[in-house]
Amino acid sequence: MELDIQELSMRIVNNAIREGFDEAIALVDRKNIAMTKIFNSEISVVQKWHTISVYLYLAKNRRIFITVFELQNLDEINRSIKEILSSVEKIYESTVYAPIPSPKHVEPLNIVDKSLIEFMDNINTLAELVIETGHRENINNIAGTIEIVYREKALSTSTLVSTYEAKTWITTYARAFMDNGSGQWSYTSTKLNTRELEETILIASRYAHENRNKIGIEPGIYDMILSPIVFANLINCVAEMTSAFSLLTGTSMFMNKSMGSDVASSKLSIYDAPRDEDLPNSTGFDDEAIKTFNKPIIDNGVLTTILHNTKTAHIMNADSTGNAGWITPRPWNIMIRGGDISLDEMISEVRRGLFVTNNWYTRLHNYIEGEFSTITRDAAFLIENGKILGSIGRIRIVDKFTNILNNIDMIGKELYKIYWWEVEIPTKSPYILARDIRISST
Amino acid sequence: MGCIMDEDIAVYAVDYALKLGAQYAEARLHRIEQFKIVSKNGLVISLGRDIYSGIGIRVLANGVLGFSATNILSRDHVKKSVENAYSMAKTHSAIMKKPIVFAPAKVGRASYSVIEKRKSSNISIDEKIKIHLDLWGRISRVALDTKVEILFLEYNEIIEEKVIVNSDGAYIKSYIPRLHMLSNIVVLHPQKGVIQRFEEFGGSGGFELIDEWHIDEILLGEVKKYGEILTNAVEPPREDVPVVIGSEIVGIIVHESCGHPSEADRIIGREAAQAGKSFIKPDMIGYRIGNEHVTVVDDPMIPNSFGFYLYDDEGVPARPKYLYRDGLINEFLHNRWTAHIFGVESNGSARAMNYTSEPIIRMSNTYLKPSDYRFEELIEDIGLGVYIKSYNEWNIDDERWSQRYVGLESYLIEKGEITKYIRNPVLEITTKTFYSSIEAIGRDLRFKPGICGKGEPMQAIPVSFGGPDVRLSKIKLGII
Repeated sequence: MELDIQELSMRIVNNAIREGFDEAIALVDRKNIAMTKIFNSEISVVQKWHTISVYLYLAKNRRIFITVFELQNLDEINRSIKEILSSVEKIYESTVYAPIPSPKHVEPLNIVDKSLIEFMDNINTLAELVIETGHRENINNIAGTIEIVYREKALSTSTLVSTYEAKTWITTYARAFMDNGSGQWSYTSTKLNTRELEETILIASRYAHENRNKIGIEPGIYDMILSPIVFANLINCVAEMTSAFSLLTGTSMFMNKSMGSDVASSKLSIYDAPRDEDLPNSTGFDDEAIKTFNKPIIDNGVLTTILHNTKTAHIMNADSTGNAGWITPRPWNIMIRGGDISLDEMISEVRRGLFVTNNWYTRLHNYIEGEFSTITRDAAFLIENGKILGSIGRIRIVDKFTNILNNIDMIGKELYKIYWWEVEIPTKSPYILARDIRISST
Repeated sequence: MGCIMDEDIAVYAVDYALKLGAQYAEARLHRIEQFKIVSKNGLVISLGRDIYSGIGIRVLANGVLGFSATNILSRDHVKKSVENAYSMAKTHSAIMKKPIVFAPAKVGRASYSVIEKRKSSNISIDEKIKIHLDLWGRISRVALDTKVEILFLEYNEIIEEKVIVNSDGAYIKSYIPRLHMLSNIVVLHPQKGVIQRFEEFGGSGGFELIDEWHIDEILLGEVKKYGEILTNAVEPPREDVPVVIGSEIVGIIVHESCGHPSEADRIIGREAAQAGKSFIKPDMIGYRIGNEHVTVVDDPMIPNSFGFYLYDDEGVPARPKYLYRDGLINEFLHNRWTAHIFGVESNGSARAMNYTSEPIIRMSNTYLKPSDYRFEELIEDIGLGVYIKSYNEWNIDDERWSQRYVGLESYLIEKGEITKYIRNPVLEITTKTFYSSIEAIGRDLRFKPGICGKGEPMQAIPVSFGGPDVRLSKIKLGII
């Protein structure tokens, strides 16, 4: 019989309080995952996981202890609780302590597509679909990943909350190769849509074809169209820097910015979107059982929200934004507000510039200054006088996030659901055009 | 060694997979226990204790690799996991054109432990917290024009225990304790700006490592230098100059531009959609990548190293691997699958992050072999040059060819002596140019720890990278 994870979370909380802790929260997370990994149009490995994780927050006399258990043995969890309690007086008071909240109303967001669960045992058919779709487009070969997840989480707190939520999602990304060209695209959704899956492969394959014969370009300043994948990668970095914990620990370019500051082009609005039911990290409640809500982080270029849990909110004299993490608030999903222009129209607005479709290895020289570089991979193009002149090799974007954000001139109207190795927060992202971006080498 | 895992369940999993019809089966009981203290400016934010314990099962069936994992270790659940791995492999076999085959290997039957001279778990929490308090006490009292705004500190004890059983006879038990510390320091000058930098310390062993690392001396020195860099640094020369690269940067360069491109799974394209491919093609053994001074080794067997192990996760004995030797591409990192493809023996490079992870090809401790120059000898003939000792930002393209390192602690060399700080010199260089430009190699081999990411799902594993200081012939540096 399947374990009742909500009952388990309540038992753990009750036990912690009975042992003598002042406060406790138990988050029990059960995951069933199937994944197929493809390379050279074959299978490199097929994987399946069934795991139960117990995340436990404990507090006594303002001391905080946080644990993660991935083990089956409840006795060992209880033993650990006793051990922690025996040492708690030796621990210093936490500098971020605030009482855990007592929300009156918790609203789970259950998004379960049963057909996705059924596909876990038939994921090979999706792998065949990916490979065959690529080959129909006459590429040499394809690599990528298909992942299906069924996740349940139960949360109980010593403030008498107990709740449960379940959801499914699929993530696919694929990299198509054609001669010396390659193209990559990504797709995610909480529901299965094989047409969107095929479209992902078609885009990757098309870019692989268009990217074959490369011309050289010089380092310098260019107007630049960033694909939804590239922009999502950069905005992931920006959104993480809006976590209050990043501000407190010196890893945010917003450390010295006040709310209401202009931080981007007025055309740009970025949302934390836990209520977006299309995206995998959608959830009705955060790790403190606070109800989540969609909100702009940057609204028409203005810094609008710093993401908080109860503790960081207490320190910074703010309210929780429903983004706990017990210590570290984090964005759930990101949504970038779409504009009103197509990709072709965007290209026609570039006199001399570049169009890049994928990137990786984004690293910061200085988080507070927002100085970074990133390297493109796969298809990239030179644009002159509103037309694509040819494909180019890899380039390195070397700039400041503030410059990229402020120089956004156009935003595409279509949003793509991006989630892959280099975009770790699910993001609805458009094509964008940013002016005067620096590249250092090719 | 602890005795916390039911080894019989691993044996059962292997036997059951063979009974189902698997050509190969492997079970790994894998437990990681961590204890963590996080602080800011000496004050504790939180303490944490994490335990990740479960079984990873891998089978080869009809030429397909199937992997499954669970932390529910009842016989029924493990049986179901074996069936999952096996049936997933079977259903995908129609897609395979070339079945996966493992090369034969002399797998081991052994048990080994890393000794903690001072067992970390026996040290009081007070003493561990005192590290945070004392460090902030010293750093915050440094008299400077600049202000130390933030010292974020993470102390992490890790104990990794494994039992690896496979159908070719491997039976390996291991117990590896590690210690890791991460700091983020922010130093601020009201007019001149801000320097922010992460620093890591790591190794295998016990609490004795804390004394060996001299963290307080190192971080105190760093803070003073940041203040001086902010107030005094000048621009790097614009002309081509000889550049001395500090061991910290040499270490990351060999990790990125020798270790990663030498991974045989990357060379055959297995990671193409994730970490990318390699500029090294399968037929490039013997290709000249640098001059005769260059030898790069990956060695898991270095005592007390962060990437230490004696048997890999396929049960194959570890050994040093000479990836580049005397300037030539010499050997790839292999597991048993790629060993079959390349017609060689596995050199024991398969590692898994935890029980949820399939073993894949990884580095361990990768370093440039030292020579015999003292540091003074490296710089004594330089009329005008640059010494880049540490770095902040770095990256490399997905075939491991074009790379960039932005210096932090960097100096001008004038008439054979270090004179002034320079600000943010940028080394952008191709792999071949770097290894071909090395004129002289120092004699002091130093290592830094790191957490290396690869695979899908992402596997973050402990490694280290090292080298001596090296002198490069004239090159043009960029400016940030």
